[in-house]
Amino acid sequence: MDDTMTRQVVKGSQIMGIVAALAGWLVPGLGHLVLRRWSKAGVYFLCIGGLACAGLAMRGGVFGAGAEDLFDRLGFFADLGAGVFYFLAQQIQTAGPDVAHATGDYGTRLFAAAGMLNLLTVLEAYDIGRGGETK
Amino acid sequence: MMSRFANLTHFGALLFFALVVSITFAFLSKRGATERLKYTLWAFLAFLLVAIGIGWLMYPFSQ
Repeated sequence: MDDTMTRQVVKGSQIMGIVAALAGWLVPGLGHLVLRRWSKAGVYFLCIGGLACAGLAMRGGVFGAGAEDLFDRLGFFADLGAGVFYFLAQQIQTAGPDVAHATGDYGTRLFAAAGMLNLLTVLEAYDIGRGGETK
Repeated sequence: MMSRFANLTHFGALLFFALVVSITFAFLSKRGATERLKYTLWAFLAFLLVAIGIGWLMYPFSQ
């Protein structure tokens, strides 16, 4: 179903916004799926999931919660934005990170970018869920 | 599939990143298939242009 047609079906509320945001953070696109924005849900899942998996396949590093310096802490929050891909990183990336090579370094950036992009989609899901008009 | 990404060059990674981010931005900011397609193409080319431009600017420092 087209997004334009479903726009009237979803009734906004604060709780719906929070539920959509949490779902969207946990699995990229799930928040939009809850809100019946089918095309956006699919595209966000494929793009963000693809970016995260590519980052892990390139043996990029994933920042842990126990980071000490500011850069690592920022990296942790960016990576955490990828939701389920962050928690499954070790299962997806069986060979472990290898940031000694350039490809691994690019992978680290791709994974962080996936997390940041997902946070943007989470904000949009929250806005749609609470009844705000979005493009 | 995963091994293809493991051997990606810098330029290949740039192309992939630019395409995926452009599509996501288009869906975030535009409504309608035509608008989204136009925005995706514009953003993708802008990513490439800026990256290659910055690459050329930094080239003398690598010598």
